[in-house]
Amino acid sequence: MGSFLKVLATVKSALENDQPAHHDGLNGAGASPVEPPTRQAELVSTFAREVELLSAGYLGAVSAAEVGARVTALAESTGALGVAIGNGITLDLDAVAVALERDGREVMRATAAPDDDARKAWLSHLARVDLGIVEARGAIASSGTLVVVSTPDSPSSLTLVPPISLIIVRADRIVGDVAQAIEAIGPATVSGHRLVMITGPSRTADIEKLIVLGVHGPKELHVLVVWPDDV
Amino acid sequence: MSDPVSETDFFSASIKAVADTELRRKLANASGRNNVHTAETKAAFPAWNDERDRARAIKRETIEHLDELLIQLKSGLEANGCSVFFAEDAAAARDYIVDVAKKNGIRRVVKGKSMTTEEIDLNPALEANGVETIETDLGEYIVQLRHERPSHILTPAIHLSKEDIGKLFEDKFGIAYTDEPTKLTAVARDRLREVFLSADMGITGVNFAIAETGTIVLVENEGNGRFSSTLPDTFIAVMGFEKIIPRLSDLSHFLEVLARAGTGQKLTTYTNFVNGPRRPGDLDGPREVHVVILDNGRSAMLADPVMREALYCLRCGACLNVCPVYRRIGGHAYGFTYPGPIGSIVSPALFGDAAGHLPFASTLCGACRDICPVKIDIPRILLHLRAKQNERDLSWPRSAKSARRGVRRFARIARHPVLARTLTALMAIAMKPFARDGYLRWMPPPFSAWTRGRDFPAFKRKGGPSRANGSRP
Repeated sequence: MGSFLKVLATVKSALENDQPAHHDGLNGAGASPVEPPTRQAELVSTFAREVELLSAGYLGAVSAAEVGARVTALAESTGALGVAIGNGITLDLDAVAVALERDGREVMRATAAPDDDARKAWLSHLARVDLGIVEARGAIASSGTLVVVSTPDSPSSLTLVPPISLIIVRADRIVGDVAQAIEAIGPATVSGHRLVMITGPSRTADIEKLIVLGVHGPKELHVLVVWPDDV
Repeated sequence: MSDPVSETDFFSASIKAVADTELRRKLANASGRNNVHTAETKAAFPAWNDERDRARAIKRETIEHLDELLIQLKSGLEANGCSVFFAEDAAAARDYIVDVAKKNGIRRVVKGKSMTTEEIDLNPALEANGVETIETDLGEYIVQLRHERPSHILTPAIHLSKEDIGKLFEDKFGIAYTDEPTKLTAVARDRLREVFLSADMGITGVNFAIAETGTIVLVENEGNGRFSSTLPDTFIAVMGFEKIIPRLSDLSHFLEVLARAGTGQKLTTYTNFVNGPRRPGDLDGPREVHVVILDNGRSAMLADPVMREALYCLRCGACLNVCPVYRRIGGHAYGFTYPGPIGSIVSPALFGDAAGHLPFASTLCGACRDICPVKIDIPRILLHLRAKQNERDLSWPRSAKSARRGVRRFARIARHPVLARTLTALMAIAMKPFARDGYLRWMPPPFSAWTRGRDFPAFKRKGGPSRANGSRP
């Protein structure tokens, strides 16, 4: 606990040095409007453009039935032999895992760890995997960002440890800007989970401000958008 | 805390730095590249100004309700399973962290980029207790290998060229020389990957702490902050108490301006939300999460209504990149953790009188205020601090009196043109032996007080002091 009360007392007395607070009329972010379908198509195309600007690979917007084929094609083209995959949120990622296995890839599925040994085994296996696949909770069109929530069956390390990352997002979960994305996540999810907003592949500009991709996180980020069947 | 330098040291360090044309080339090169990126991104973002106002208003509200928000943050973090420690000063923070390391039998620490842990001088304390401490941000890793301090808040190795780094890696790792940034980065990636997988403790700074949800937000590009907060069993986040924001919905306004100002990105690659230790079933995440909330002189800033604004700072580094002083002397010459305009206003509060001269190291051009994502009026604070410093300087009333006497004497002479011209001509003759290329760079005492800090244009025989460009009489 440290010197909580002492620090607090110092802060309080420091604050008393000035007049009471000015409120600048803060009401939080305005409610995000519900997007009609045509606007949704626009958001998908803005999102796709931004993803490409980030030097990430945009794999297109496909129907749920085409996902398996698209993902196996990616594994083929990147030469990924070992794949780790999280559980889907709206999509059946197990079907994708089956498609990859049929194609001759070794697939590790994320499942909640029953004990610490299982957790350690998962991490040491993940360190040798080429490609990690997860479904994002949402995405931001204006910046090409993916919002990925960590759960026991789709942990954060899936989009961190493997050198190639594939993130799949459903088209109707793409929103316009950061404020809308954060509103869509909501305080309950934020206090309940670790999560990360991912904008492009890992990068640095620490040497002469020249941009290099793939410092610690994935060198390659691929993004696939899936149209829900009812649109 | 760095290696504090006195005013005299600061003069000699900056004179040396200004004369180092190689350093100036590197700084101009890198910060120039950065300024192009940020200018482009801002131009493409019409809401730039509105979002800055918004972010500023939230910071203002936060700072004015800091007492209530600290209580809320503490209970929020604890509800999420974090241990919270309030540190009055750097020593208390260091002791706590070293204690946690000892209790958990920690041998190896990986650090994400954190200026706050530089401020409290954490690494030597850990190393002294037998804990290997490895910086993992590429720039920090490079300066650590050179046993140096970061020279920029955001780009720690901005004072080095790719050739310097190539030579460093060749020396330290015995690899073939290369100056290709891609290859150098790959070398660091491989070496640090091993480190991440074996470290038992991670330490990072904090960009935002959301009081409403009890969440730590870490903003970064490389993924080292993610690794440090995800893989090791113990994770410690260190923050100044001004990093609080009240609500989750406030965050977007900061994210919209932070990266645009700092690097010219719309958002950084990773915006990490850390919420306490791993929960049952989780495959990753730390077992223990500690949050160290630091005062260390910040309440003194809070107590001063003019200085208070300095606590809005997001540590984006934008003011360094545009500062004509920083761009010529670089970060090391300042001698304290935070260089550049923001450093010149916060260092006297954080590090005391030893940094009292820094507010004078500014041209007051205002470029920092114009780029600041939360519109901190840095020039105003610099003037405020100069006035405070001058009040403390007891010789000031006496020197003011003699200055007034001097001006009166000059006025008397100036009223008689013949006398003024004759005296000017005599002065020109007297100064001639000291003039080089139209400037007086050195004069014997008592005139040395004048030439110590600046070059004085030599008198011409007619028409008063010559102009620097020589185009006017």
